[in-house]
Amino acid sequence: MAKTYRTVPGTVFDVSNYIFLTLFALAAVVPFIFIISGSFATDAEITKRAVFLIPKTFTLAAYEFIFSTSTVSKSIGVSIYITVVGTVINLFFTITMAYALARRSLMGRNVVLNMVIFTMLFSGGMIPTYLVIRELHLLDTYWALMLPGAISAFNLIIIKNFFQELPPGLEEAAKIDGCSEIGLLWRIALPLSMPVIATFTLFYAVGHWNDFFASLLYINDPTKWPLQVLLRQIVLLSQAAAGDLSMMDPDFVKPPDQSIKMAVIVVGTVPILCVYPFLQKHFAKGVLLGSVKG
Amino acid sequence: MNGVTELKGLQPSKSYRPSVMSRLKRDRWLYILLLPGLLYFLIFKYVPMWGVLLAFKNYQPYSGFIKSAWVGIDHFRLFFSNPEFYMLLRNTLLLSFYNLLFFFPAPIILALLLNEVRIMLFKRAVQTMIYVPHFISMVIVASMTYLFLTTNGGPVNELLFSYTGNKIEFLASPDWFRPIIILQTIWKECGWGTIIFLAALASVDVEQYEAAIMDGANRWRQMWHITLPSIRSTIIILLILRLGNVLENGFEQIYLLLNPLNRSVAEVFDTYVYFMGITQGAFSYSTAVGLFKSVVGVIFVVGANYLAKRFGQSGLY
Amino acid sequence: MHQSRKRMKRLTALLLTFVMSAAMLAACSGSGSSGGNSGNTNKNTEPPAASTNAPAETEKPLDPLKINIMLPIFKTNYPKDDSPVAAELEKLTNTDIHFEWVPNASYTDKFNITLASGKLPTIIYVPDVKSPSFVNAAKDGAFWEIGPYLKDYKNLSGANEVILNNSSVDGKNYGIYRGRNLARNGIYFRQDWLDQVGLPVPETIDDFYNMLKAFKEQDPDQNGKPDTYGMVLVKWTGQWASGFDVMKLWFGAPNKWGVKDGSLVPEFQTEEYMEALRFMKKLYDEKLINQDFAIMDSGIWTDPIVNNQAGVIVDVVDGAARVDDRIHAALAAEGKDQPDVHYMNVTGGVKGADGQLRVLPTSGFAGMLAIPKSAVKTEEELKRVLTFIDQLSEPELQTLLNFGIEGTHYTLEDDYIVRNTDTVLIESEVEGLNQMLTFIPQDMAKTVKQTPLRIKQTELMLENIQYIVGNPAEPFISQVYTEKGAQLDNIINDARIKFIVGQTDEAGFKAAVDLWLKSGGTDLVNEMNQLYAATK
Repeated sequence: MAKTYRTVPGTVFDVSNYIFLTLFALAAVVPFIFIISGSFATDAEITKRAVFLIPKTFTLAAYEFIFSTSTVSKSIGVSIYITVVGTVINLFFTITMAYALARRSLMGRNVVLNMVIFTMLFSGGMIPTYLVIRELHLLDTYWALMLPGAISAFNLIIIKNFFQELPPGLEEAAKIDGCSEIGLLWRIALPLSMPVIATFTLFYAVGHWNDFFASLLYINDPTKWPLQVLLRQIVLLSQAAAGDLSMMDPDFVKPPDQSIKMAVIVVGTVPILCVYPFLQKHFAKGVLLGSVKG
Repeated sequence: MNGVTELKGLQPSKSYRPSVMSRLKRDRWLYILLLPGLLYFLIFKYVPMWGVLLAFKNYQPYSGFIKSAWVGIDHFRLFFSNPEFYMLLRNTLLLSFYNLLFFFPAPIILALLLNEVRIMLFKRAVQTMIYVPHFISMVIVASMTYLFLTTNGGPVNELLFSYTGNKIEFLASPDWFRPIIILQTIWKECGWGTIIFLAALASVDVEQYEAAIMDGANRWRQMWHITLPSIRSTIIILLILRLGNVLENGFEQIYLLLNPLNRSVAEVFDTYVYFMGITQGAFSYSTAVGLFKSVVGVIFVVGANYLAKRFGQSGLY
Repeated sequence: MHQSRKRMKRLTALLLTFVMSAAMLAACSGSGSSGGNSGNTNKNTEPPAASTNAPAETEKPLDPLKINIMLPIFKTNYPKDDSPVAAELEKLTNTDIHFEWVPNASYTDKFNITLASGKLPTIIYVPDVKSPSFVNAAKDGAFWEIGPYLKDYKNLSGANEVILNNSSVDGKNYGIYRGRNLARNGIYFRQDWLDQVGLPVPETIDDFYNMLKAFKEQDPDQNGKPDTYGMVLVKWTGQWASGFDVMKLWFGAPNKWGVKDGSLVPEFQTEEYMEALRFMKKLYDEKLINQDFAIMDSGIWTDPIVNNQAGVIVDVVDGAARVDDRIHAALAAEGKDQPDVHYMNVTGGVKGADGQLRVLPTSGFAGMLAIPKSAVKTEEELKRVLTFIDQLSEPELQTLLNFGIEGTHYTLEDDYIVRNTDTVLIESEVEGLNQMLTFIPQDMAKTVKQTPLRIKQTELMLENIQYIVGNPAEPFISQVYTEKGAQLDNIINDARIKFIVGQTDEAGFKAAVDLWLKSGGTDLVNEMNQLYAATK
């Protein structure tokens, strides 16, 4: 950013800005800190104190419980696999299509765009999609979690718009130099769009990480469950979700301790939070840096 | 303004327009790039599209599509003749409208504020912190809201009580329902929503700022003339797309806060369909309502896109 | 641009083509049923250690029966197909079992999808026997009607008539219900508080009221602060009895539908119901129940009892032991526990003005095990599957599936089960297997050493079966209710809560009832009465 060009620091605006941002950030992060604290406490303490910053009864029991079988660890592995491979698939499909659609002179462009926008508003629904997956013999495979959501029309349109705003001069200049379309995409358009690409990498990755519904539908083999499926089980179980209480005969199914619930939340959230710092450097790149004049 | 100018617009007569074949040939690599995505949409979005027709049938999963009986527009009739229809419509639209009015600008403002921060470490720290709520599941957020606002020992009411001797039934009151929903949404999604704007801001040409300073522009002018316009197209696109979901309300959030005492303002189409689904078997009826929402969404999107174009913006296309 | 009209046409044509071809594609794949499993069909001979069935013609042992069974899982760990308990089960029943575990939170969706896909397992758990998708599938012939076969089996023949009726569709039983205690509801309360205020266990409604009042006013936890109240009541979810639904019976109100002059009448049109409602309002106005009951998070509703803020809950009596355990745990953490004392006590309810005790029953079952015809193709195979399910009701199998293998998962002390404290081991090898137990005719497994409280709970539940007031309309499936049920229920639900908290008065409640009638309630009453008349 043009940080050296601004006026002298310390103005009223700046100070209030910093204060406001600090307060907002704290409000955003403090509840999560309570959850982290709770995950290190005993159930008895949580019942008594509800929320606290430092647990009086520090214990790792919740985490020990979670990782005592391989179920949770394995599901984390599954989630990571799906997130990484899935995001690569997303980026491949989305970027190629967005780039192609960004060219206004492309014949048939508007038809395709209309098709895409149509799918944002109308959809076949759960069962028809399930049947397609089944016909493709993708049930119970990881592909079923990565292909049906390969392109988010929303992301596609925004990336397309970013590509559209790249200066046309670049394209002409590169073509004169004998660059192919694919070369253009790979060597010029992409590097210049890094903040946008990084953004949607993050969006897609988070989407994969947080998804549980697709797994519930398409995956029957419990060893293939990603983390969020398990997480949701625990959280909902201890919330005694409406109607399900009838299934919870007390001596058959004991709800998990609150501390375990919190520990699972921590385990489910921290990994994906760590992704952002890695992508951060791409967000800040000042892009065009005078590559094309006029 | 930007983008490649249409060849057609410049050509005075047909004979100069390249033929279909030559255009296909010229752009063949683009078509190849287009292919994977196109296949994706066809297979995973258009093949299941027959599901839309479920709205006109009484679909039973076991019987399958063919054997389920046609009911024509019965579902729609049931839907529109529901005496609570107008209440649902009003609640849904109002909530959406408040969301647009209060929540939509929030990430933009936050992004702009963040943009003004010069201490990189602070900026990065704040950014990471404000993303956290996005990852916390709605179920937890609802629990936290309850703990926070309950009259039974919740901190907000305890404070109120010690200062004014009164407590407010936030969670049971129809008047507070919408503000609580909006505040929840802001808390949960505002930080995450800044990402896309910050990405757009990162693409702004540094030189423009330099030129502006040299012309004597102060920070407000810089923001008004350079920063804001740079994200204008992003804002407009997001707005148009958001309008496509005008009848969507975030089912889970509302369901968790819904109770008999605030139902008059809280019940929206999504929760209504859910409760119908429990007795009804969901599919056909919810497809019908979904179809209704989609049609309304189309109207809004087309309208918004048209307006955007009228004002010289780029719109969806 | 006129181009856009041409484009619209092209687009429409494109779309139409796709929709048509997609519909064709889908039609082919829609309801095809590709078989679930291929069992072995041999004639007549029994697997060893089974109940008496058809006469054994040959002594040749059968190949193990392959079974796929779809069940809900409530935890993150689950027994695998090769867990030692499963292996033992397979040995005892001569089966080869594959479990399809489904997270319970999404079981309904999975169930519906499985129906749509046509690939059903040998045995499938049905969560809601009234759900339209199940009812329709059953009527379409998806499942075997097992009703007529039950009498041939040692254990299954002991199925309870009432529960069979409750779980039927059009009078036919398309699955075996999973039995649960019928008379589960009652009151549980802090006995130590009761002792503190010097009151006996309540017997009448007035006693109950006095108990709540004393809990509020007489500082039963002796901390010098007026921070206690009587009873915790929670957000009403309807299905499993909430406090009010239990209590209304004390006043003589019917259970959902009452019978007056031979026809059905909705409960809220009876005077007894109004009396109960007024009583609840009184409790609320006098602050004897939690003032935020309409919104309280059901995940924490027993917390106030553990935290010494309230003393009573009206709900399933087996909740008492659980709360008791929590209180012990909390006190133990503070070093103040008295392990031999029971802080909680239970009673089935209180008598109404006529001296009668009335208890709200559950439906008596929690879902059913259904046997799809697509997976089990012949009657022979069906009988083998039924034999398997019948066998599960043998005491040693009930114990096996509930607790595991002796020595590994538990030890026996005086014929009581002492569970292994390694909960993880239990969760990954045992827990969840009991989902397939039907408990018909009853639970005969060994039990955990019963604390006096638990023993009392069990006895109470058995004893109170004689006092239950059933819902005469329980087995009926109503068309009107399917279309408008949710709405109708809302009208009454909202009205009664508003009445209790004072947002509306009796006239307002009556107005809501009128609204109910107008919005389809009258049709519902008529329809129910027709169904009722047909059964007489």
